[in-house]
Amino acid sequence: MSTFPLLQPASPEAEAIFELFITVVLISLGIFVVVTGLIVIALWRGKAKADTPKQEFGSSKSEIFWMTGPILILVWIFVITTKLILTTNAVPKIQPTDSTHELELHVTGHQWWWEIQYGDSSIVGANEIHLPTGKRIRVKIESADVIHSFWIPQLARKMDAIPGHPNYIWLEATKEGVYEGRCAEYCGTQHTWMKFKVFVTSPEEYEKWKQEATAADKTTAQQVAKTAPDGKDASSSGAKLSTKEAGKAIFLSEGCINCHALEGLSTPSIGPSLTRISDRAIIGAGVLKNSQENLGRWLKDPQTYKPGCKMPDFNLTDEQVKQLVTFLWSP
Amino acid sequence: MMLIPELWNWDSLVWLAIGIILLVYFVTFKGMPPLRRFALGLGVAFMAVAFVSPIGYLANGYVFSAHMIQHLLMLLIVPLCLILALPKQRVASWFSDTPKPQLAKALVMIGWIGGVGAMWFWHVPNLCSVSTQNASIGLLRDSSFMLAGLVFWWPIFGPLESTRLSPPSGIVYLFSACLGCTLLGIYITFTNSIVCPVFAQSVDSLGIMASLQAAGFTPMVDQNLGGLLMWVPPCTLYVGAIISLLCRWYKVLDPETIKGPVASDHEPAHLV
Amino acid sequence: MLQPDSLGADSRRNLFSWICSVDHKRIGIMYMLLAVFFLLVGGVEALLIRAQLAVPKNDLVSPQMFNQLFTLHGTTMVFLVGMPVFTGFSNFIVPLMIGAKDVAFPRLNAMSFWMLPFGATLLYFSFFTGSAPDAGWFSYAPLSTKPFSSLPGVDYWIIGLAVMGIGSISGAINIVATVMCCRAPGMSLQRVPLFVWIMFMQAILIVITIPPLNSAISMLLIDRMLGAAFFEPARGGSALLWQHFFWMFGHPEVYVFALPAFAIVSEVIPVFSRKPIYGYAFVAGSSTIIVLLSYTVWAHHMFAVGLGMGPNIFFAAATLLIALPTGVKIFNWTATLWGGSIRFTTAMLFAIAFLIQFVVGGLTGIMFATVPVDWQLTDTYFVVAHFHYVLVGGIVFSLFAATFYWFPKISGRMLNEKLGKLQFWLWLIGFNATFGIQHLLGLMGMPRRVYTYDDNPGWALCNGISSAGAVFMAAGTLVLVWNILKSMKSGAVAGNNPWEGFTLEWATTSPPPLENFKELPEIKSRRPVWDADHPDLADWKSEKTPEDRGHRPAGAKVAAWSFVISEAIFFILLLVSYVVFNSGDEIEGPTSETALDVSRTGFFTLILLSSSLTFWIAERCLRRDKIGGFKLWLGLTILLGCVFIGGQVWEYSGLISNGITVNRNLFASTFFTVTGFHGLHVTGGIIVLGIMYMLGRLGYLTSKRTHVFAAVGVYWHFVDVVWIAVFSIIYLDVFK
Repeated sequence: MSTFPLLQPASPEAEAIFELFITVVLISLGIFVVVTGLIVIALWRGKAKADTPKQEFGSSKSEIFWMTGPILILVWIFVITTKLILTTNAVPKIQPTDSTHELELHVTGHQWWWEIQYGDSSIVGANEIHLPTGKRIRVKIESADVIHSFWIPQLARKMDAIPGHPNYIWLEATKEGVYEGRCAEYCGTQHTWMKFKVFVTSPEEYEKWKQEATAADKTTAQQVAKTAPDGKDASSSGAKLSTKEAGKAIFLSEGCINCHALEGLSTPSIGPSLTRISDRAIIGAGVLKNSQENLGRWLKDPQTYKPGCKMPDFNLTDEQVKQLVTFLWSP
Repeated sequence: MMLIPELWNWDSLVWLAIGIILLVYFVTFKGMPPLRRFALGLGVAFMAVAFVSPIGYLANGYVFSAHMIQHLLMLLIVPLCLILALPKQRVASWFSDTPKPQLAKALVMIGWIGGVGAMWFWHVPNLCSVSTQNASIGLLRDSSFMLAGLVFWWPIFGPLESTRLSPPSGIVYLFSACLGCTLLGIYITFTNSIVCPVFAQSVDSLGIMASLQAAGFTPMVDQNLGGLLMWVPPCTLYVGAIISLLCRWYKVLDPETIKGPVASDHEPAHLV
Repeated sequence: MLQPDSLGADSRRNLFSWICSVDHKRIGIMYMLLAVFFLLVGGVEALLIRAQLAVPKNDLVSPQMFNQLFTLHGTTMVFLVGMPVFTGFSNFIVPLMIGAKDVAFPRLNAMSFWMLPFGATLLYFSFFTGSAPDAGWFSYAPLSTKPFSSLPGVDYWIIGLAVMGIGSISGAINIVATVMCCRAPGMSLQRVPLFVWIMFMQAILIVITIPPLNSAISMLLIDRMLGAAFFEPARGGSALLWQHFFWMFGHPEVYVFALPAFAIVSEVIPVFSRKPIYGYAFVAGSSTIIVLLSYTVWAHHMFAVGLGMGPNIFFAAATLLIALPTGVKIFNWTATLWGGSIRFTTAMLFAIAFLIQFVVGGLTGIMFATVPVDWQLTDTYFVVAHFHYVLVGGIVFSLFAATFYWFPKISGRMLNEKLGKLQFWLWLIGFNATFGIQHLLGLMGMPRRVYTYDDNPGWALCNGISSAGAVFMAAGTLVLVWNILKSMKSGAVAGNNPWEGFTLEWATTSPPPLENFKELPEIKSRRPVWDADHPDLADWKSEKTPEDRGHRPAGAKVAAWSFVISEAIFFILLLVSYVVFNSGDEIEGPTSETALDVSRTGFFTLILLSSSLTFWIAERCLRRDKIGGFKLWLGLTILLGCVFIGGQVWEYSGLISNGITVNRNLFASTFFTVTGFHGLHVTGGIIVLGIMYMLGRLGYLTSKRTHVFAAVGVYWHFVDVVWIAVFSIIYLDVFK
């Protein structure tokens, strides 16, 4: 987490943009000093005068002479801009085939969270991205509803997520660490809380994470299947349920299942997937840090923490919240 | 790529046209100032570039953007140069009395419709393909571009003062023409359908298309580039012409000419 | 139309005489008062926004409320402050500067003004429905479409904007006609004061820039009300089309504000430097170039949407290019200051602050033109800082300069300079504190349009400073209001020319009489009042300017042409949307090939075209005073028009009975939209022709009044030309 993410790039592309930015800032400062200087001098010279000055009407020569400077500066800026556009904007719509590009990321913006799919595995995540260093990753950016904008200031350019108009960018991180990302285009009531985190690790650690997550997905599916009850009428059967089983019953009966995916139980993606939720860093796309307590708070009253979000208040009792958290935390 | 000898079209018919133009010009006008001769030279040089250089070869069913460059040269650049090569007094002396305002008005209409219309007309998909494949229709197209360009520039830079538009009207004339080109350019840039089918499946006799396409220069990219070419350079040229009109209007360049009121009988009435 | 002395004491309290006034000065003042009122409203909204953001995790207002606040703040400041206040100044000052009695169409002027309060009421009425618009002032689709904004807020926004847009266009047409037709003898177009020339350019820009907005909002309204799907990607529409149309309006709109600021500064700086403007032709010409170029840069608002390489480079180049004419102006203003004897009045202080702050806004603008930097900085507080430096630091400051400069002419009394300077320093400090720090917030990664933020290092401090600055600006505004109220009562009496101004408005009394001038000084240069005051140093002795050739076109014709150009752009954009949605191959349901009867409509096309011919004959008859023939041919024209409409009704009923309605698919939506708007225009034309017919019968139309009829003709022929385009694109499918 850095104070000035735009000035602390951590990828070749962000670095190049940063350099361009600094160049343009320096040029602008130069122009500003010259123009302001001239104005101040003119004012200084003119402040004491009270007589009628010489009536000058201008001269075409001086205008044209003066214009050459700005024209040259603009041409210069144009050239460096174009150079950078040509190198960073060339993201192919067809996935390249060579080995350095095998990983593809598929990002979908939703009101108000991010769905992350990995091209090299079946993992589906929400509001966090795991990346290896040193790989050039093609990201396909889409939207499920309105226009969002995918932005990780330290790693890559902004790119809008537009329904019906998939966009592509390169993502490449050089330094390991945790980076902040967020939606940058106004997308409705809770645009504010549409953040995500990017965990950049070494390729080995990334592989490890990938295998663990895939394995965890499998175990989740098995566990969920094993946990009684497995029918919707279970809550009315009257049998004494364990905390976790009661949680599953709530998950089924309260309608969580209609919006959220849980490996082995449901697949919709109206809200974020709840598989492996105990591994997540944040809840509600950034409103709360993830912990069992905070998850409980969130389930109790999502509208307090993220007013206007798509998750309604289910009026769960404290007991029910506890059961649901237990179920979700390790199904 | 410039070095591939097959791309140069040394036996083009355009030499004949250039010869005729030079001959006619030097027989009719003698002792012209160097600036006018330079304009003429520039004009015929651009003609040669359009047909003899690789642009001419690639325009012929290969690359849509080269085809567009050729059009722009023939419609805008070459006629502009040729018109600027015409001396004012000599041309004016051919007409004993000043043309009627109606004639001037008609010339303006024809010029605008010709200039903008030529671009639209020859990019109707079928016509675009046919004129690329059939040499005689191609010749018709190129000469009509040239003619349209001449009538288009006539009311702005023509040698006859009386058929010129007043600067404000000229600005409207150029700006609306710019919008006309822009619309078609935007369409060609952003559309996903093929505007000129010939270029989508060009016959690759030199074997360069495969390498071009591998480098990302697909027919679609080619067409988008062509659209941008139709859109940007003409508009830049028009803005340049508008600036020259503004200079003429405010008489920035020659303060000598504003001594007294000029005869006001043929100021066009439609200033809007 | 009998009017007492425009600002005479006897009528000052008479509200009714203001409401029915058609005097350009009173209408100008009403525009300004309306703008001041909404400046306060929009300002309160801004203060609430800043209060909410003053500390992290604040819950002063709800997220919904916050989104409504920034939507209304943007919309209000653009449509109810920026546009009216400059139209107000234009209305008051332009006729005075060109030595005219009034604007070209005083009654149209009153209508233009009264559209505004109606539009404003519609916009703000949404509050009482419980849902103010909250999709941003740009209302990006699909957020603004029914599935994502089901409450009526956006509908009020659309209708409010449409009403205000009509008012703006008619007001602008009036200014165009006034400048072209009503100049005093001797004042050639090359001699008008720069304020007049630049406001003339601004009026032209309004005429051509509002239509894209009208196209966009009418399509959005059809989406929302009739179930079409122009902007709903889920049903085949395009989210990007909205952005293209909106910014085709939205970017030139920036120049609709910037040009008046240039106009004001181009008057204030020379007067308080006691020098003529340096390089008149370059300032005037560069304004013209800005108008032309402003239409080519819209997509620089869309660098982050993935336009592709070519358009990115092109729009970067165009955006950099438009910096040049602005740079030319900065140079000329500086050169005007150079060697002048400067008077540091409040107006001049604001003008100088404008100059420097506008340079800052312009330079950050260049940063946004370098596309990759835009990819990083857009939608952060850096862009908020950038455009507030242009719009507030530039334009609002110039507005204050104009207020102090022209208040004596408008009211007859001087504003208090001490209070003025207090206000200046409050604003200078407040403005730079509020928005200067936002550059830093942008670099910290703070995005726009968020109602709160985490307590990241530095964010609380910077936001706190920003919010504190807003308080200074609010205080400064209160000082101005107090200053105006106080000076109206007891300010020093101004006299005709308190600032030793150069232009014609200073040649008459303050406030000017109803007819504006008792007598006009001779106009032989760009500074007639200077010439009269300094006969030895008169401009026409040293600086020759093109003589007036006395040509003044008929106002009605100018207005008709301007209107037609505006409408043409509206139709072009509707046709563009038709082509966009119908050039692909994969349209489900009816298409133009399967649903339309080309030969039958071809017949009605001929009917409509022949009505142009009959109109032309009617016009000839009128010119030769053959009223009988005139009535016959005009009657025939009306009949042919009605037959055409009848044909359209026939076609529509056939389509509808086959289940082809506007919400069926995108072909049907575009078809009904384009032909429906055309049909409305034909119907309107028929009504106007009917009025002409009645006027002819009553003997009001004679050969001396042909220009009015000719103006109607411009419109009628235009409607036919549009139909030719519609017929060839929709029925003959030339784009397939």
